[in-house]
Amino acid sequence: MAQAAKPSPWMALTSAALTLPAFSASVPDQVEIGISTTAYRESDQNPQSVLVGSVQRYDININQFYLITPIGRDWGLALDLSHESMSGASPWGTVSVVGANTQLVMSGATIEEARNELSLGITRYFDTASLGFSLTRSEENDYNATAMAVNGEWDFNNRQSTLAAGLSYSTDSIEPSDALSFGRTLKQARRSASFSLAWTQVLNRASVLQSGFSVTQHNGYLSDPYKLRDIRPRQRLETAINFRYRRFMHRSDSSLHLDYRYYHDDFGIGSHTLRSAWYQNLTDQFQLIPSVRYYSQNQADFYVGGDDYGLPETVFQSSDYRLSGFGAVTFGLQGRFSQRDWSVSVNFERYLSAAGYGLNASRAEHPGLLRFSLLSFGFDVKL
Amino acid sequence: MGCPCELRLFAASATIAQHAAATCISEAARFEQKYSRYLDSSVTSVINRSAGVAATPIDPETSGLLQYAGVCYEQSHGLFDITSGVLRQVWHKDRQTLPRQAELEEITRLVGWDKIHLTDSEVFLPEPGMEIDFGGVVKEYAADAIAMRVKSSGISSALVSLGGDIVTFGAQRAGAAWPIGIVHPIQKESAIATIYLKDMALATSGGYERYFELQGKRYSHLINPHTGWPVDSLLSVSVSAQQAVVAGSISSIALLYDRQQAIDWLDNSGCSYFAIDQDLSCYGNLGG
Repeated sequence: MAQAAKPSPWMALTSAALTLPAFSASVPDQVEIGISTTAYRESDQNPQSVLVGSVQRYDININQFYLITPIGRDWGLALDLSHESMSGASPWGTVSVVGANTQLVMSGATIEEARNELSLGITRYFDTASLGFSLTRSEENDYNATAMAVNGEWDFNNRQSTLAAGLSYSTDSIEPSDALSFGRTLKQARRSASFSLAWTQVLNRASVLQSGFSVTQHNGYLSDPYKLRDIRPRQRLETAINFRYRRFMHRSDSSLHLDYRYYHDDFGIGSHTLRSAWYQNLTDQFQLIPSVRYYSQNQADFYVGGDDYGLPETVFQSSDYRLSGFGAVTFGLQGRFSQRDWSVSVNFERYLSAAGYGLNASRAEHPGLLRFSLLSFGFDVKL
Repeated sequence: MGCPCELRLFAASATIAQHAAATCISEAARFEQKYSRYLDSSVTSVINRSAGVAATPIDPETSGLLQYAGVCYEQSHGLFDITSGVLRQVWHKDRQTLPRQAELEEITRLVGWDKIHLTDSEVFLPEPGMEIDFGGVVKEYAADAIAMRVKSSGISSALVSLGGDIVTFGAQRAGAAWPIGIVHPIQKESAIATIYLKDMALATSGGYERYFELQGKRYSHLINPHTGWPVDSLLSVSVSAQQAVVAGSISSIALLYDRQQAIDWLDNSGCSYFAIDQDLSCYGNLGG
């Protein structure tokens, strides 16, 4: 049986030091709250590409609120609330036309729908580590989800390295609207479990690198019940590795953020995401952040350009544009104004996607590929 | 505090920065008034004057510091002893000859942390002539206390420096760590190494100023309380830890060991360190 190791001088001295008044003096509790509002607008479809249905895509307004508060010396609580209202139409399916481009069958423009989400998290802080637990509930008229997660972080090497690990589980249920009228499935469920690991390393005084990987398994009903013909496997295994590099440039008082992510799943989809952002301090209080993001994915194994009703319902197929091979570019610009206790930010993004932007595009571009603009305002304050 | 002090902080406005700086200066002055052995009114002087006479009532801060000094005594196997200041009466720069054994035996009678009576509310030095000196602990603790004050005045990023002891928290803008140069022992204008700190403290002990010449030989001001003789120590040791007081104790204790033992002590201390030997060779796993 191994003998308990004698504590190192550092451990003994640190325990003794922490009882000194300066360290047990309570730092004033800083409660922080924030609100934000976002307008998300998808561009209208080209009328030439729509066989039947609305040319209008989705408009979504998102309002969010968060609160973070310390509890005592060692605990923290986080509360997140989100309310989304959406209206618009989405593709129900595609029709292949011989000698012409594939066309979309769009739904009619819907009346407004809403989604609400509540998330509660609690974290215990230790000297060089933290452990958190969170619970999230999302509800909309046809879809409910409940998720729980556990997260831990440990600092090593005098805080030069950090290891973060997370485990999460969610259970979702879908009851499509107008199921009987449209012959849709009545009620379905699915479960997801996910594990992630990340290592952050301070490289030198001006740079930090984070490397991570995650794996997620989904089981249950994974098809889109609103599509005319969408039959997907009942399991999906997703893996991803990512890298985040941050470098501070002293002379220009700015910092470069570079993120890369590679994703792969057993639907046959592989994707690359590369994002670059430049944080420029203009004055002590004002910061401007331009960014550009490039995304490319290849199509899923069972992706079809035009719905094929000739195939039996046991054969997987989907004409969902999100499973096609395409690329996308996002341009973003954010401005941030900060004071000691509060800050405001404005963020604008423009997203463009096309088969031609991708490294491994589908033979025929899906007519439903998206373009959208997003504008959001945020305000946060320490009380 | 008898040494150069520096405060650097990032604040949203000059007013906030000035307010925080004023808080720091008053806190540093408070420690000076309370613990300086050169002031008759300080707690240190009151305790020392009562040696062999009566116990002195002490507040939680003083008793906490004394108890912490006791842990330093244990962890250093008695080398770090805040009662060893009296040895300065024997080993000082105005001496012309080496002390005789009898002289040393008389003075070491007054040294010994284990002789002190300490409770949560009072301290008693049993022999007249015994003295305690907070110098080895309070300067680093003051840096920690000042850093905590700055933090609670809403400043998210700062560097506090008292003499060679530095506390940082937060980072410079956009996440960069604070670069700290370790002063070259000979070429005082340049750095022998640079260390990057983020939410950490750095304490440095030693240096050429701590020596005096006697009969053609250099002797350290640091005396081994067991033998009564100066230590053949490393030239300078810098240690990083989350609290300056912990970093300071580890670096001070390292200098009380003979050179090779000091490196072993630092390797097993649990902290990152940077040490410079008498011949200017460098050891340690901190910085570049």
